[in-house]
Order: sequence, then C-alpha cells, then structure tokens
Amino acid sequence: MSKKGTSNFIMQRASAVLLLPLGVWFLWSLAAHAGGDYFTARAWLSELKNTVLLGALVTIGALHMRIGMSEVIHDYFTGTMHGLLSWLNWLVALGVIGVALWSLYALAA
Amino acid sequence: MAKSAPASRPLSPHLQIWRFTVTMAASITHRGTGIALYTGTVLLALWMWSIAMGEGVFAVIGPLMVSPIGLIIIFGYIWALSFHMLGGLRYLYFDSGRGLAPKTATKTAWAIYIASFLLALIISYAAMKTRGAF
Repeated sequence: MSKKGTSNFIMQRASAVLLLPLGVWFLWSLAAHAGGDYFTARAWLSELKNTVLLGALVTIGALHMRIGMSEVIHDYFTGTMHGLLSWLNWLVALGVIGVALWSLYALAA
Repeated sequence: MAKSAPASRPLSPHLQIWRFTVTMAASITHRGTGIALYTGTVLLALWMWSIAMGEGVFAVIGPLMVSPIGLIIIFGYIWALSFHMLGGLRYLYFDSGRGLAPKTATKTAWAIYIASFLLALIISYAAMKTRGAF
C-alpha cells in the first residue's frame, strides 16, 4: 500500500508550520472585514497581497488536509473502500486547489 | 468495511474503547476539527468561486452565510481553526521531545481547550463589531 509514511510525516509538519502564520492572518482578516458586501469582498480578493496569501493558505491547506484525511482513511478502512476513499480524497484536495486558484486568477486585477 | 475485505493490516481501535482523559479528548478533538476544517476549506473555495462568478451567484451564497446556520458554521470554523492551530503547535512541541510528561500534557490539553474558545469568542466579537452588529 502506501510507502509514503516518512514523506507524509515530514510534509504534514512542514505544511503545519507554514499554515500557522497564514491561519492567523486569515482569522485576523475575517475579523477585520466581516459583513462587507459583494464589491468589498471582490476588491479585497483582487489585492495582490491577499491573492498570494489566500492562494497559499488554500493550496498548502488542501495538501495538509489531504494527508490528515488519509490518516483517518488508513485507520478505519481497508480493501476497495480504502482505495475508493483515498482516490476521492485526492480529488477533493485537487478540486479545492483548482477552484480556488482559478477564482483568484479570474479576480486578479 | 473491515468485514467485506480481509484486512491485510490491523485497523486502529475505535473511539469507544478509551478511558476518558483530557489528553485523549484533545487528540480526538484535533482529528475532529481537522475533518471539520476539511469541509470548511471546501466551503471557502466555493465562496471564492461565487465571487469570481459574479454578483448573481454571490446573491445566493451571501444570504446563506449570514443566516443563523451560516453564522453557526462560521463560528464553528473559527473555533475549529483556533483549536487545530493551538493543538498543532502543541504537537510540534511534542515532536521536539518536550511536554510529554503526563502532568504537563494534561495541563496543555486543558489550556488549548480554554484558549481556543477565548480566541474564537474574541475573533467572533471583533467580526460582529466590524459587521456593525453592535
């Protein structure tokens, strides 16, 4: 099955370290901009700094959550179900990255 | 699932076999908040997509976000992210080989529960204030 134990272990911790400051920034942004209308949100998303930071948060976050969920799948599923869920897990993570980056690209001024 | 296919490797013991301790609760909560954030990240990507699609699509998503259920989900997301970041910090500290003594680990487990709720409340209060709720 998976022979990625060590690389996943390292990747999960490296991504965690990167996600900590990005998470703090995101929570702070949420508190600072809550309740804005469509145009405020759109303007915020098309600022270069926010595009880069949110793109990094979602991309690194999706890879981190993919590894985390694969730990859960490894713990409780075997056989066909294990394979199916692992495949779905990749699909969700790549889908999230694709949708988020496309949206940021479309919004970039 | 385990019944339908012969297990080639042992499965983990499930939730109900553990005696309750706060360190065990923090471990389960770390996983639980991780799964919640998985869903939250999907919603975040959908929010970004709705803004990229234009005002018409956002007109559907926007009101959902400020509905009672939407606000509960957003508060849950804020708390889950707070807890998972503090828990992650605690685990990184564990990785350095420190903080593993049962007494210390119990104290830090209580600390991340309390701190995550305080943090979530402060952030939510600030967000409500920005929103002009009071």
